Amino acid sequence: MTDLLIIGAGLTGLFAACTAARAGLNVRVIAQGAGTTHWHAGTIDLLGYLPDGRQPVANWMQALGRLPPAHPYRLLGAASIANALDAFQQLAAAAGLPYERAAASIDSPGPSAPSQPIDREDDPSGHFTDIAPGRNGQLISPVGAARPVFLAPHAQLAASLEDERPLLIIGFNGMTDFYPALIAENLRRQGRPARSALLPLSRLTNRRDHNTIQLARLLDQPAAQEMLIEMVSDAAATGERIGLPAVLGLKTHTRLLAKLHQAGSAPDRRKTPPGSPLQPPFSLFEIPTLPPSVPGMRLDASLRAQLTRLRVRVEIGMKVCGVRTAGRRIEWIETESGSRPLRHTARNYLLATGGILGGGIRGDRCGRVRETVFDLPLTAPQTRSQWLRPIFLDKRGHPVFQGGVPVDTRFRPLDRDGAPVYDNLWAAGSVLAHTDPIRERSREGIAIATGFAAAHSVANGQ
Amino acid sequence: MNQDSPPVAAMQSIQPNSVGISLNACIKCNICVSYCPVSEVTDSFPGPKYAAPQSERFREIGYPYFQDAAGDNPSPPGRGRVPDASVDYCSGCRVCNEVCPTGVRIAEINARARARIVAAEGLSLRNRLLGRSDLLGRVGSVAPALANALLHHPLSRRLAAVLFGVAERAPLPRWHNRTFSRWLKRTRSRRLRSERKVVYFHGCATQHYEPFVGMAAVLVLEHLGYEVVVPPQSCCGLPLLSNGEFSAAETYHRRNVAQFADYIQAGYPILGASTSCTLTLKEEAPELLDLEGDEGTQALKRNTWDIFEWLRERENQGQLPAGLGPLNNGQEPFILPYHAPCQLRAHRIGKPALDLLALIPGIDLRESHARCCGIAGTYGLKSEKYQIAMDVGAELFDFVAAQGNTSDPAVQGAVSFTACDSETCRWQLEHGAGLPSRHPIELLAASYGLYDLQARQPLNEN
Repeated sequence: MTDLLIIGAGLTGLFAACTAARAGLNVRVIAQGAGTTHWHAGTIDLLGYLPDGRQPVANWMQALGRLPPAHPYRLLGAASIANALDAFQQLAAAAGLPYERAAASIDSPGPSAPSQPIDREDDPSGHFTDIAPGRNGQLISPVGAARPVFLAPHAQLAASLEDERPLLIIGFNGMTDFYPALIAENLRRQGRPARSALLPLSRLTNRRDHNTIQLARLLDQPAAQEMLIEMVSDAAATGERIGLPAVLGLKTHTRLLAKLHQAGSAPDRRKTPPGSPLQPPFSLFEIPTLPPSVPGMRLDASLRAQLTRLRVRVEIGMKVCGVRTAGRRIEWIETESGSRPLRHTARNYLLATGGILGGGIRGDRCGRVRETVFDLPLTAPQTRSQWLRPIFLDKRGHPVFQGGVPVDTRFRPLDRDGAPVYDNLWAAGSVLAHTDPIRERSREGIAIATGFAAAHSVANGQ
Repeated sequence: MNQDSPPVAAMQSIQPNSVGISLNACIKCNICVSYCPVSEVTDSFPGPKYAAPQSERFREIGYPYFQDAAGDNPSPPGRGRVPDASVDYCSGCRVCNEVCPTGVRIAEINARARARIVAAEGLSLRNRLLGRSDLLGRVGSVAPALANALLHHPLSRRLAAVLFGVAERAPLPRWHNRTFSRWLKRTRSRRLRSERKVVYFHGCATQHYEPFVGMAAVLVLEHLGYEVVVPPQSCCGLPLLSNGEFSAAETYHRRNVAQFADYIQAGYPILGASTSCTLTLKEEAPELLDLEGDEGTQALKRNTWDIFEWLRERENQGQLPAGLGPLNNGQEPFILPYHAPCQLRAHRIGKPALDLLALIPGIDLRESHARCCGIAGTYGLKSEKYQIAMDVGAELFDFVAAQGNTSDPAVQGAVSFTACDSETCRWQLEHGAGLPSRHPIELLAASYGLYDLQARQPLNEN
């Protein structure tokens, strides 16, 4: 029998599945569609803004005390969150997609010691461990603004705004939804030397129009990789940091990144003025794009590969249409199929369906806001006029997005009286109450930390 | 829904015109684009989002097979107002439906658009023929040896490619020297008579090309103590639906509805081993042909089962007989790469064959995560689409090759078979991976000692 049935295949569900399977549980994942990992920037954002939305959070550990008491992070505490992040970093590294502290590059700013993320794991000095725990990095967003990030994949580390070297933002002529001139202009407004360039797509392909995935797949091919390296090397001036849209390969991403860094770290005699010391010509990073997000797809693929190794089945296309309960237990759930409902029976159930964006919470025209699988009690306003504040971009966000499933410290959903609704139901991720993950820039942190904690709660209760 | 109450059995997505309505749920998240196996390998298909929800909004509503409040619009669209021809490059694999987080019936929108093209512009002789698997089967079965010699002669394949556009190297089946019906008739005296009865829907492939799949199904069902009733039946109509010939498909479908009505009345379940036939009876025909409100269609839909879906129910209720034996005599595990075809995944019943094959002693199941084998029924048989189908299938062929890679220490033995539930997929899999492929029911029958897996015939039969 299945020990844990996870509903939802986003970062929360997949990471909780890995965690529970490694704890020895028999796990299965079902979901209505592929997870929203494909919309992620691929970074792990822990806590970028407090609910007042005013200043970016410099150190999330120090900011935890200023979150509302029922916030999932307050239920967990800093040590639990850090444990979950460690487990995530180990898992990602084992899957060949290592994540590092985004704040690390503060230790090595300036053109004399450019950050070369690929070499970090080989760094014997280990001097990156002395970064203040909880300190966020500031990476460059798709419009050139600062993005508070805690962990980033290797490809995004050099985007740190704490690094003061001049920036060159490169796009492709013919790629949709990525505007290097806009990014560079916004960076200049923040006082950073930045310029932009457009590479001709015609040297890579005959196609005129490209989305991110098409480009990433194109750049999986060795010939296109060589051409890209040549074009980037030609465009770069000595000592520049180069931002490219996040399309640097899918299946052979690591190889392409290594090649680019190698090209970037080879001293370029042509561009070095006579007499001055040889400088590495450039370092390079990816800037996330609009969906489909290639860094998010890489993360999804890595987690799926780990689950295959752990023999966890993930079944997509399953929409829950019925629930059977007996007292305080869930007996089974049913999903829609082509003909008759399909029954799923498990000892425990983990709700990881996401918030309004992921489909775990839905509002109707009458103003009712519902949790879509178990119809659990929500903290969301049940009157349409109270969903939103009058100003669209209000710094405090909107009440409807802050509503969710309230849970206890073991991540069991609670009823109105504060008692667990069911003894074998758990919840994690964006479906939780007292957090607005998109606004707080805490989406991946909430997913990883609460998914990890809920999976361990289930394992410990076995 | 969270009360101690019977489950909500109503499937809320099944409403009149649910296909057309579903496009409103598209949030343009691009997940379908990132998963579409066809647009990944060819520029001829712009991808599910562009071809379906995005274009459908601008297409002329009304003709054919789209009713709105005003009823049928009987006039065909004028020249230049038919859907763009690129929609014909959708293979109909339904991976987009599977991954869509909001439930858009993307593949069905494309199928309807293709039908509008066919209604306005007519159909090639090739597509007309490929759609009639029933007719082709019956013609060839008159003199199978002659038909095979004629069809498979290199010269005729060349001619068929030049004259009709049937790809020269595409995996076409061979007519069997006796049809499934003739085997049933010949062995009538030995067939089990029982109070407990099931109806078997054999489909065109089992009837004419692979009667042994039907034999294996009958042997297993009889082993469980069920009498297998095989009434006269028509093609499910799927090849016609996927070639855009909706009116002919409707004729077939209505014939089936009438032919099975009495058995449904008597409470017999209708089982099929061909996942695409059963999917058509359950869902494709009702949705595409706007028959969701038709009573007979609904009854057929509710009583149709994939054979492993039904067998899994028996297993869950402890009715599956013991006595499954190992599939090879040696000490080595029997490594079996299993691919759940996209048409099975579209049932949304999980992977029941995987659940049951796991019961066979000594089996080492390797689950394929490939999206599609490429063939998609008749798609990969067409000259202009053959290479696309092979490129799509590469993911699966590579997976199979990796399982038999003896240089890998994790691999403990050779792979002698692959398994897949759908006939055209098995043909493509054999063509692309170079290994014999079996239906899971053949493996189950062999494990019960009823069937010769190598020779593909019942044991203990002259």
